[in-house]
Amino acid sequence: MEKKQLLQKLAEIVGKDDIRTSEMQLQEYSYDASLIKGKPDCIVIPESTLEVSRIARLAHENHVPLIVRGTGSSLSGGPVPVRGGIVLLTTPKMNRILEIDIPNQRVVVEPGVITLQLKNELAKYGYLYQPDPASEKTSTMGGNLAENSGGPLCFKYGVTTNHILGAELVLADGEVINVGGKSLDNPGLDLIGLVTGSEGTLAIATKIILRIMPKNEGVKTLLAIFDTVNDGANTVSEIVKSGMVPSTLEMLDNLAIKAVETFYKIGLPTDAAGLLLIELDGLNDGLDRLAGQIIEICKKNNAREVSLAKNNAERDQLWTARKGAFGATGRLRPNYLVNDGTVPRTKLPETLRRVGEIGKKYNVEIANVFHAGDGNLHPLILFDERDKDELARVHKAAFEILQVCVEVGGTITGEHGVGVEKLGALSLLFSPADLNALRKIKRVFDPDDILNPGKLILMESESSERKEVVYA
Amino acid sequence: MPDATSLIPVFADIVGADHVIADPDRLKALAIDGVVAKLMVSPKTMEETAKIMAAAYKDDLSVIPIGGGTKMALGGIPSRADILISTKRMDSYLDYDIDNLTIQVESGLTIAAIQAKLEAEGKGYFLPVDPPHSRNATVGGVVATNDNGPKRLLYGGLRDNVLGNTVVLANGDIVRAGGKVVKNVASYDLTKLFIGSLGSLGLICRTTFKIGLKPEAEASLLLPFNDLSKAGSFLQRIISSFYYPAALEVMTANTMAHRKDILKTEGNYIVAVFCEGISEAVDRQMKDLSEIGKNEGALAAVPLRGAQHRDFWIAYRDFADDWSKTDPNLILLKSNFVISKHAEMFAASEKALSDAGLRYALAAHAGTGTLYTAILPGADLESRKESIIGEIRRLTDMAVGNDGNLVVERAPFSLKKQVDVWGRIKSGFSLVRGLKERFDPTGVLNPGRYVGGI
Ligand SMILES: Cc1cc2nc3c(=O)[nH]c(=O)nc-3n(C[C@H](O)[C@H](O)[C@H](O)COP(=O)(O)OP(=O)(O)OC[C@H]3O[C@@H](n4cnc5c(N)ncnc54)[C@H](O)[C@@H]3O)c2cc1C
Repeated sequence: MEKKQLLQKLAEIVGKDDIRTSEMQLQEYSYDASLIKGKPDCIVIPESTLEVSRIARLAHENHVPLIVRGTGSSLSGGPVPVRGGIVLLTTPKMNRILEIDIPNQRVVVEPGVITLQLKNELAKYGYLYQPDPASEKTSTMGGNLAENSGGPLCFKYGVTTNHILGAELVLADGEVINVGGKSLDNPGLDLIGLVTGSEGTLAIATKIILRIMPKNEGVKTLLAIFDTVNDGANTVSEIVKSGMVPSTLEMLDNLAIKAVETFYKIGLPTDAAGLLLIELDGLNDGLDRLAGQIIEICKKNNAREVSLAKNNAERDQLWTARKGAFGATGRLRPNYLVNDGTVPRTKLPETLRRVGEIGKKYNVEIANVFHAGDGNLHPLILFDERDKDELARVHKAAFEILQVCVEVGGTITGEHGVGVEKLGALSLLFSPADLNALRKIKRVFDPDDILNPGKLILMESESSERKEVVYA
Repeated sequence: MPDATSLIPVFADIVGADHVIADPDRLKALAIDGVVAKLMVSPKTMEETAKIMAAAYKDDLSVIPIGGGTKMALGGIPSRADILISTKRMDSYLDYDIDNLTIQVESGLTIAAIQAKLEAEGKGYFLPVDPPHSRNATVGGVVATNDNGPKRLLYGGLRDNVLGNTVVLANGDIVRAGGKVVKNVASYDLTKLFIGSLGSLGLICRTTFKIGLKPEAEASLLLPFNDLSKAGSFLQRIISSFYYPAALEVMTANTMAHRKDILKTEGNYIVAVFCEGISEAVDRQMKDLSEIGKNEGALAAVPLRGAQHRDFWIAYRDFADDWSKTDPNLILLKSNFVISKHAEMFAASEKALSDAGLRYALAAHAGTGTLYTAILPGADLESRKESIIGEIRRLTDMAVGNDGNLVVERAPFSLKKQVDVWGRIKSGFSLVRGLKERFDPTGVLNPGRYVGGI
């Protein structure tokens, strides 16, 4: 079909006003929060499942790629239309919280709902949706589902997939199905588990059913400052070994601390090598004693300073620092690249040391902001995209870091997804038989490779067996 | 089609003659819904399993995995059964990384054996899963049937605690899904695909679990009620509070009738609460929940601690096994539904079954919306069969009406023939069928036993 005809058909589905085709608009949807780029052929804004279904059918019949987009905060190229096609936006018109079902502790949302908006709404009922990606102010629930996002609280409460119980899905050919549901353990294959984290390549979520929980009675937030990153990492291991389950164990290294302090001015010691943010929650009873125990462990591991947030304002400040860490660090140089490998917790000190060595070897600056409790590293490699030589070194360094993560028993991505970026790193982890099994999934859901092609796994086998990362 | 017995020498070569069983009497004892396999092969390793499966695949022979054999009654009647593959000899610990709170084990290990080994470390390590059939259930069986227990309320289910599965596909390919880290989004979440797949897509050889550390204190509270609606409102109140019990259960007075040594309480219904966490929080929950319970109409609030507490939960989980010993015709149904409907589902099941003049025992995981209904037909199943089938349909409708479903977990053959043991087929089944066709194109894995008869 000619592009003009396609646009006309789309206009019949959503109305002329909900199609965007100007060069400027196309540019606007050519990127995400990574450096990967790719221009769409058009943008479409549906307002209902039926419209999404009709768009999918149209794309399917005409073999046009269809890419769903939340707010484009993905860090791996997820929503970038690298092979052109139709970009479908969820935020303008599919952004309603459809149901807050307190007795059953579930909510039903449309995919364009912003994570924080949902949390704020639930707070009115004394309820929480636990997963808390640092991007929660901007990311959508559809994006969270598709990337299986994590966040600081996931150490105790699990990642997004542990909180998504069902969805209404539009399949590649436009068929609408419901998977999972408000109840647990529906018999049959775990289709919702499969679609969560599938980066928009298997289906389009048009409604999402989530688990919510009553708010905790008490929370304590602690901040510990260290003179070496190792002391911080060892503290984390010891806390976990003690049997305590804090809700959060987050670390920042010196470069990240400096960046945050420059940006937020909250009085962090800029000469410190490591900062550990710890949070405990539960019933009030015994929380003080636990906090005391944690302070002891920090001191035993040479913490220079440990303090307890005295009030909500202090707590909010610490969280602002943690959640703003990427942004603040990113401002140090024109560009930054976030690595996302995960390693077994006890391998953190070794991995961090090797990350430091890799930085030296390639002469690139690396800051570390990481979810220490679950071993999820975020080395932020700082650079200037225009410096081609530096860019090449960044690529090499990033790939080597992933290699290290896999070598010590970890994985190439803990929460940001494969996208385009880590396609070439899949073979560090998977055998050809493993990759084939993954391709079987895609073939069942989307045999014609219409939904977000070129992401997560390539259908052409050679490309997934390439060993490199692609950042731009 | 060649006969499975023609492969005896091939299998003997792979696993040793001692581990290939062709004796019809021994195989008859392992019949699944009356269907007797031709052979049972017991590999020691995943590589041996892969070779056996590749050989079977070439000859288009069907393969039925078996672990502890505790749940072979689950699923539809097999459409054919050539080779049973027993996982029992695959019982090694592969990556025993307790410092990182993860372990990878072979699928033939029992959950009980793993718990015992972890406990022997003396540091409080445990596997945060507590499925029924607690003595004999193996890792492979528990994962393949997605069999969760009462403490799922606090710890999550298998889909939350399994980090990776390594599986042998129908053609003998070995596929590794997931890994050993908690956060892992490298490509599709294949790990979850195999959880609850009843061996219909592959044979699970290795599983990596999260392990937990025992909290400082644990205890439980038994609250007998005479009035179900009062028990229900107590439970809903706790579910909606900031208390965080590890399990929140309600059962009929006779559910644990075989264990009068353990459960001595009066009352028509027993609510059981499992509390664990830091000592102060456990004390507080035991105290507050007793008070709330009494205000809501509990006849008493009986604390259980130490061995009493531990034994209670094992006996409770295994209640249906106990009943099946005195009532071999026992029919066990498991329904799931939205959590606020626990009391309604419980009451409706009771009413339906007593109206039909049937004996029963019920147990519900109130906090997670699961109800076990044991129908106890006694010796004379035939005369009650029609009415039981009617009740199963009615209970299925009810569960489906509350956004859930109903699975017949075990039933005598004559009854099984007449019901759909997997409940109502829901939307998305074409994908289930598609996945089955991709992973098991010739339909040799557990044929006929899984959802929709695949
Ligand atoms: C500063 C910063 C901090 C971040 N912190 C975190 C963090 O702490 N943890 C974390 O996990 N991530 C983090 N991220 C990454 C990112 O925010 C998450 O991946 C987020 O879930 C993406 O949501 P989005 O709405 O922006 O999705 P998009 O970027 O628009 O899309 C992401 C993917 O989801 C797919 N998708 C979107 N909607 C749907 C739908 N309805 N159905 C099917 N597929 C769909 C898209 O096709 C795409 O593949 C961070 C990013 C930034 C820039």
